Amino acid sequence: MSNDTPDAVPRDADTSRDVTAAAENAALANEGYVKAIEIKNLVKKYKSVTAVNDISLDVYEGEIFGFLGPNGAGKTTTIKTLLGLIFPTFGDVFVLGKPAGDIEVKEQISYLPESPYFYEHMTAREVVGFYGSLFGMRGKEKDLKVDELLDRVGLQADSKKQLRAFSKGMLQRVGIAQSLVNDPKVLFYDEPTSGLDPVAHRDIRNLLLHLKQEGRTIFLSSHQLSDVELVCDRVSILNRGKIRRLGNVEDLIAGGNVEIIAENLATSDSEMAHLKGITSNIEMVGNKVIITASADTQSKNRVLDWIRGNNGDVLSVAQTRRTLEDIFYETVREGDLEAGSAFAVPAPSESMEIHN
Amino acid sequence: MNTIFVIAKGTFGEAMRRRILNVFLFVALALMIMAVAFSSFTPRNELDLIKSMGLGVIQISGVFISVILGINLIPSEIERRTIYTILSKPVQRYEFLTGKFLGGLMTVLANIGLMSLVFIILLLIKERAFDKDVVLVLGGEMMIAFQLMLVSAMAVMFSVLVSPFVNFFLSFSIYFFGSITSLWSDMATSLGHLALLNQYLFRVLGWIVPNFENYNVQNPIIHPDTHIQNETTYTIYCITYAVLYSLIMMFLAIIQFNRKEV
Repeated sequence: MSNDTPDAVPRDADTSRDVTAAAENAALANEGYVKAIEIKNLVKKYKSVTAVNDISLDVYEGEIFGFLGPNGAGKTTTIKTLLGLIFPTFGDVFVLGKPAGDIEVKEQISYLPESPYFYEHMTAREVVGFYGSLFGMRGKEKDLKVDELLDRVGLQADSKKQLRAFSKGMLQRVGIAQSLVNDPKVLFYDEPTSGLDPVAHRDIRNLLLHLKQEGRTIFLSSHQLSDVELVCDRVSILNRGKIRRLGNVEDLIAGGNVEIIAENLATSDSEMAHLKGITSNIEMVGNKVIITASADTQSKNRVLDWIRGNNGDVLSVAQTRRTLEDIFYETVREGDLEAGSAFAVPAPSESMEIHN
Repeated sequence: MNTIFVIAKGTFGEAMRRRILNVFLFVALALMIMAVAFSSFTPRNELDLIKSMGLGVIQISGVFISVILGINLIPSEIERRTIYTILSKPVQRYEFLTGKFLGGLMTVLANIGLMSLVFIILLLIKERAFDKDVVLVLGGEMMIAFQLMLVSAMAVMFSVLVSPFVNFFLSFSIYFFGSITSLWSDMATSLGHLALLNQYLFRVLGWIVPNFENYNVQNPIIHPDTHIQNETTYTIYCITYAVLYSLIMMFLAIIQFNRKEV
């Protein structure tokens, strides 16, 4: 797990939605963490379309950073800018302290694009060797490296087959192997588990954790939020070219709500109005009341005080844990509502059942 | 240099397996074999016709291979996203572009080399002797090779500016106009004083559009009486022209490619 690693970025960073990315970055930088990636006020425009709109972000050495967002949010544009494949319209982008695209930087980074394609006429061994040659590897040094990597991704048995005979999962393994050929310090992975079967999926997830244990920095763009939740130290959620959330995964999913069930309440309309001032999520079931409030101590205590003040008996207090998917959904939906383009179908309520 | 060579080698390996190029190669070989097989061995001019036809087939199929390969070298890398994994490695953009061009050129040369070999063998079988005409044909093939280098460089240069579809017509149009430069100059001189502007226009175009006609060696073979005064100087001039023009094309392509977002 991500928090097993001593180098992991601390969990106590402020993740409040109101805290800007700059403040989050500054907080970590002050604690002596070395920046592997630095994005300052990045803007990328394509004619009239703004793909990335003034984002600032720091990623620290040794962390797995989840770069999340719906399709078209600007993730791949940002990654391509970090690799020097495209150029910022405005702002600065640094990797390992040097401008993105610098040849010295490229010696120490690697990239795995979504659904990678390699020369199909080559074998897995030849492809990995080809990428090794781009780093100046030759002869025995190259052969040893290729063997090591093919072993690592479990392709040694198929190393002499042409890639045209490979499945998607096998191609992804070749992609991972080529991404490790230079022992990179920073890895940019774009949807590394997309379209893979559960076994390959899990293998790659484990590999990410191993890479982190080796001290590498991973910039991970993925729609597999359960994976991100498991492997990432911090995440940012991008929507419509802007960072909407940034913080530690545990802090983002912590908090959530608390569900309090009480009975025998002697309440007046004015008291109910008072409760609605604390939370509007109140449901009456017979003589019981189910109150859902924010899980922060203050809100929870206010609800409990209100119940006691109205001579009620507290039957249960249960914390509901949120997932990264909940946070992602909330964040993206907020952005879409702002832009007036939210999906018209509401999320199903918890009591809804799906019958097959 | 190592990076350029690695990319060139990868490009060559892939391009040699492209079916459309193989089709051109086999059609060209079939045409040459038929030209030789179905001709009766008697008059001198018939043999010259075969040589001219053979060189013509090599030239035309070489141009098709050069253009089709050249227009797709860079766009196909972008479309398939292989360029992302390569340019994110310590590869300068000029190294990538030069490697792709050289790999493409190697493919073109391998194709026309194979055609030339078959053609020479057929000629030797037909003539039953190794005479100066065979040397002349070899010289013609060398000139075609330099012409195709020029065509490839031009197609690669346009490939970083326009889509493959536009590039296809653009490259062939320029090849066509570059192959009739003598017609242009005749027109320019025959226009007279009233059309001075047109004369300048033709001259400027004559400078910009590569002169592919210089590499057309079939005419001296068909008409052995037309001699070039100093053949060595002429050959050196043509080779230098092709190399310099290709270098300029690649230089322009690199400038554009350095600014290109992929």
